[in-house]
Amino acid sequence: MRTGLVLLACAALAACSAGSKRHETVLTFSGSALGAEGTLVAKQLKRFMQLNPGIRVELQRTPDDASQRHQLYVQWLNARVGNPSILQLDVVWTPEFAAAGWVLPLEKYAPAKSEFFPATITANTWAGKLYALPWFADVGLLYRRTDLVPREPATLEELVADAQRAKAQRGGPRYGLVSQGARYEGLITGFVEYLGAFGGRIIDDSGEVVVNRPEAVRALEFMRDELYKWNIVPLDALTWHEEETRFAFQNANSVFMRNWPYAVGAMSDTSQSKVLGKFAVSPMPKSGTAPNGHSTAALGGAQLAINAYTEFPDAAYKLIAYLTAPEQMLERAQAVGQYPTRPGLYDDARLRGAINIPLENARRAIESATPRPVTPIYTELSEILQIQLHRALVRQAEPRQALDEAAARINALIERTGMRKLMRGVS
Amino acid sequence: MKKISRLGAEARLGWTLVMPALGVIALIAIFPLGWTFWESLHLHELRMPWLGKPFVGIANYVEIAKDPRFWAALGHTAFFTVVSISLELLIGLFLALAMNRVFRGRGFVRAAVLVPWAIPTVVAALLWRFIFESQGGILNALLIDAGFINQPVVWFIEATKAWVPVILADVWKTTPFVALLLLAGLQNIDLSLYEAAAVDGANAWWQLRHITLPLLKPAILVTLIFRTLDGFRVFDLIYVLTGGGPGTSTEPVALYTFNALLQNLRFGYGSALSVVIFAITFGLALLYVRGLGVRLGGEE
Repeated sequence: MRTGLVLLACAALAACSAGSKRHETVLTFSGSALGAEGTLVAKQLKRFMQLNPGIRVELQRTPDDASQRHQLYVQWLNARVGNPSILQLDVVWTPEFAAAGWVLPLEKYAPAKSEFFPATITANTWAGKLYALPWFADVGLLYRRTDLVPREPATLEELVADAQRAKAQRGGPRYGLVSQGARYEGLITGFVEYLGAFGGRIIDDSGEVVVNRPEAVRALEFMRDELYKWNIVPLDALTWHEEETRFAFQNANSVFMRNWPYAVGAMSDTSQSKVLGKFAVSPMPKSGTAPNGHSTAALGGAQLAINAYTEFPDAAYKLIAYLTAPEQMLERAQAVGQYPTRPGLYDDARLRGAINIPLENARRAIESATPRPVTPIYTELSEILQIQLHRALVRQAEPRQALDEAAARINALIERTGMRKLMRGVS
Repeated sequence: MKKISRLGAEARLGWTLVMPALGVIALIAIFPLGWTFWESLHLHELRMPWLGKPFVGIANYVEIAKDPRFWAALGHTAFFTVVSISLELLIGLFLALAMNRVFRGRGFVRAAVLVPWAIPTVVAALLWRFIFESQGGILNALLIDAGFINQPVVWFIEATKAWVPVILADVWKTTPFVALLLLAGLQNIDLSLYEAAAVDGANAWWQLRHITLPLLKPAILVTLIFRTLDGFRVFDLIYVLTGGGPGTSTEPVALYTFNALLQNLRFGYGSALSVVIFAITFGLALLYVRGLGVRLGGEE
């Protein structure tokens, strides 16, 4: 398969170097120039240029903050700017950019879709076509204090019981579970996990909004009960993002934490970590009371796509193929700890040293990963949901009422944007 | 027309001389306003190029009128404006009266009072956010030490409580500005009036009600205009402190507009919102000028 890719890439090079005899092929790559990430990207781009003397790649610095980068991209693409030639997309942006015609479908390059985790391919597919290749994966993980809870909870109900028990012990931590409850995208990722655990969805395969079905209401009620009934999640968490939860867990103030993989590195490296060697990660469990529930992790991560206005789409694909090739992914995992999107790499011994958790757990988490709704109107859908979820969690509204309101607004959004037809059979 | 022709050459010269200034105003105020208005009559979603950019008339305005979130945001803005300005005027008047007295170090005090005003709003908002943080926030620590509460209060998850830091921060930051405007007004009052009143046996309260406040009216109204317009456009303070939450219960119209325009990139709808905010603030300004008889720069 790999040689196939290389051959294909060579063919692409031949095609484009023939066409660009007169002027040089210059690609621009959008990314961060900061820290270990910047060094890694610079190193990989340099190597790519050595392998492909006809192509020059320039790094175009774009903000690390996702929503700022998104805003910039949209403005540039509205103005039909061809740079950066390779766009670094957040996992929920691909359908939006694809539907807008801002990124090119990759079908003609025949990427080996089966070599990637299926969820990462689904997230990048719009109207039956693949528009971006997954570069690295981010998944929601359950962190657990192994000294307090030796066994991984098999269900959410067990998690609650474990948290309550460990919290009640003499000298036990203050909190049972810390998670991201502020009104922002992080709240949706958490909700998606509970939703899956109870067998619910936001939008079903036929494009129907099902976020106010009983399973979803139960999921939200469960989240609320963790705050007010079982008192395992602190109310403070309703204003927390990732870092606040990490601080709480790292200072040994919590039994469990829901967070992304980055926290593993952060908590293993610092001398301030009070939980060094005392924690493990696993996928978020499913609910034991919901027959259709399954263990679910929210899927995050970055994708690479070709700017539809670039002069050099073939060369751009070549770079994307290079950066998402196994070697580069492995190097990325080693340098900055980001998870490869290729299941094949999880059997590679070199990956073991790169990510600080058992590979089996990482792989299970990514396999249980579920994309957030794959739709071009995701960002607005997410805003609606963020508000209503937050209202339910701060008890301004009952979960049922909040989700009914969310569903009504999402339906109105779908109507307004003419999305009804497009979404059928795609999500 | 008649008037101009009567004035003749002199008027023409006058117009010629103000032309550049009018040109600049047209370029930086009227043109963008007109453009925004034009944009507000279209369906224009930057993220959804497949919708095109059709002319939709007043559809965006209809959507605004039907959106409960907009009306709620308008209510929050009005609430914030009224409460914070009342407090600022009250405390500001008190400060101004104090600073108007002759005492040692008056110059220093006047400068020192301005410090909160000089701090950028975002920085001030972050400062207040730290103070009100539930874990490790200074305020909770003080309240617990003093025995008022047992458990730290989570300020930002209840609508009524979330307003406390917002309004406190605004009052803290803007009162000095109000005080200074009022102080300038106080200094324009002829001291001989007080002397005459004292001779006639008027006490301090009577002097305040019948001399200070009436003569301070222009300064108070100017302050009101400034502060009302500022209050109606409040954005950065709330963006940093509560983000409009919990839910959307502290969301002002400016934040709602920002969301529509820059987060969701709904240019048509967002422009319509901007036009509505403009119309409201313009209306308020007119109300002050006409209804309350403020003379901006003119004599009474």
